[in-house]
Amino acid sequence: MLKISDLSARVAGKEILKGINLEVKAGEVHAIMGPNGSGKSTLAQVLAGREDFEITGGSVTFEDRDLLALAPEERARAGLFLGFQYPVEIPGVNNVYLLKAALNAKRKAAGEAEVDAYEFLGLVKQKMKLMQMSETFLTRGVNEGFSGGEKKRNEVLQMLVLEPKLAILDETDSGLDIDALKVVATGVNSLRSPQHSIVLVTHYQRLLDYIVPDRVHVLSGGRILMSGDRSLALELERRGYDWVRESRVA
Amino acid sequence: MSALHASAASSAALRSFEAQWLAREADPLSPVREQAMQRLLELGLPTTREESWRYTNLRSLSAQSFVDAPRAPPGSIHPHASLALLGEEARVATLLVVNGYPVLPERMDLSINGIEISSLRELSRTDPISAQRFLTPLPEGEEMRWQLLNTALFVDGLYLRVRTRVATPLIILHLATADSAGRAAYPRTIIEASPSSSATIIEHHVQQGPETPLINSATQLLLERDADIEHYRVFATDQRTAHFDSLEIRQQRDSRCRQFTIALGGGLVRTSLAARLEQSGARSDCYSLLMGHEERHVDCVNVVRHAAPATLSRQTARAIASGTSRVIFNSKVVVEAGAAQADSRQSSRGLLLSPSAEIDSRPQLEIHTDEVKCAHGATTGRLDPNMLFYMLSRGIDRDTAQSLLVYAFLADVLTDMSVTEARTAIENALIAQLPDPQVLQKFR
Repeated sequence: MLKISDLSARVAGKEILKGINLEVKAGEVHAIMGPNGSGKSTLAQVLAGREDFEITGGSVTFEDRDLLALAPEERARAGLFLGFQYPVEIPGVNNVYLLKAALNAKRKAAGEAEVDAYEFLGLVKQKMKLMQMSETFLTRGVNEGFSGGEKKRNEVLQMLVLEPKLAILDETDSGLDIDALKVVATGVNSLRSPQHSIVLVTHYQRLLDYIVPDRVHVLSGGRILMSGDRSLALELERRGYDWVRESRVA
Repeated sequence: MSALHASAASSAALRSFEAQWLAREADPLSPVREQAMQRLLELGLPTTREESWRYTNLRSLSAQSFVDAPRAPPGSIHPHASLALLGEEARVATLLVVNGYPVLPERMDLSINGIEISSLRELSRTDPISAQRFLTPLPEGEEMRWQLLNTALFVDGLYLRVRTRVATPLIILHLATADSAGRAAYPRTIIEASPSSSATIIEHHVQQGPETPLINSATQLLLERDADIEHYRVFATDQRTAHFDSLEIRQQRDSRCRQFTIALGGGLVRTSLAARLEQSGARSDCYSLLMGHEERHVDCVNVVRHAAPATLSRQTARAIASGTSRVIFNSKVVVEAGAAQADSRQSSRGLLLSPSAEIDSRPQLEIHTDEVKCAHGATTGRLDPNMLFYMLSRGIDRDTAQSLLVYAFLADVLTDMSVTEARTAIENALIAQLPDPQVLQKFR
């Protein structure tokens, strides 16, 4: 599904990613953990096509296509989704407009007809129910005046409507209380299938109690220092990120 | 008619206006007209040396000469259906005014939905004192120079008296038309709202025909005690049109005026607004929606004067500039010495859609008393790259994303329009000038 080889990137002249290697197969859930400033969010944004980040080396293939050659909107239509750490408020653009525009863009790229308005509303309402969101959110501006938790739920809602092949969720758990975390996890888990892959970028192990990953990677200083299974996350929780850095030096 | 002394700064245009003035027949309004013409000749046409005309150069216009745009014979003009702001189904009343001449039935007691309507020519015959009272220039003469010209030269116009609470909006369709270049039209509208009356009045400026005259329109609104008026002026002529519009609003106790200035057409459009809150409790909400497109030049100047205590004003301006267009928005709030507890807010935002476009915005405050609440803010920039990236990351193509963001930018003004049909029509016209109208249309 996704293959990252020796990827390096700069932000504002500063080298943030220093040779990332990662492979995510169809149906897998990977967690990328790491301390603040390790490059987790940069990696997520680079994959989504953020233009002010400069790729300085390496390659990324997504479903055998050169991901880095695609514009952000093409990546999305090819089936990649980024759940933002800080979802942007867009006053004046209805949530439902955005969802519909996004879904139709994807369908158009796949050679499908535009979604039927009635079916679309049914689909969105069903997913909103799963995310325990009030239908009043539909007619509000995108993320406008949403609480932190509401914004994160809205990200997962968009993901569920778009059904991406690969979802990268950037700290979707941060700022959530335990009930909201469970709702978000339920949403994410509902996408799990042999066709869909998920990359969870997170600071804390807590999310992984609810969304159990197949692989866990530790990113620090722009490199993946360690990879393992679920138990690596638990060990990290116990021993802290310094342990990774020290054991790497040792 | 006696000859007036020509100004030292006389230009071909000014001389031709004077010639029009000299050729006018005397009417009951002649004294006040003469006063206006004199004042204009003293002041001369504006030049870029003046602060409020810094960005609008009238040099090439000043070098032209103008004669009156003719009155069309009755029944000879039928506006294209496409010029109507609202479709038939909206069932609003429309009054047609061609080159400033109202096309009214031959009835003296015309009234539409509770609004009494007569021609200014008629009013000046039956009640010259009232007519003169309206036309006496305010001290803001320099800002309102084009209004002076209109006062001197308008031949006819509309006089509306709102007596009751009128539910149905009234549209005034101002049609400008000319067979040859070098014509000028002077539409004049006076609207008086009786105590506790309310109405919505939409002035819609369009043009049809082989040439387009210079349009010098002026409107005065007088709101008496507790009157409630929503007024629109929509500029929708083509790119050849030079249009100078002056709007004067005077508000008495507890009156409320919501005013929308919407520039979505024209080549050179200069709009001025002078609002006076003359008695306490008066409230003025002014919205300016200025759309710079292709080579259009839009220059909007608002002056709101708090002349009584406990008056309130809100100004909201949204300017968009694409192509090589230029949009200027100057707003000024004056709080006079007696206007304690005045409350004013000015918000102006500009959005640049092309590197060759330009927006100049300047809010000003002039306060002569204590205990007032005045705030202003002005920002201009490009589309927010974070918002854009967010939408791109959802697969939405760039043109659509940009259009949606531009549309969202205008929402603050659009959502405050209470006439749904007018709002929809204005939205349609705005969208047609955005980068990706077809796609956007589907998401409304």
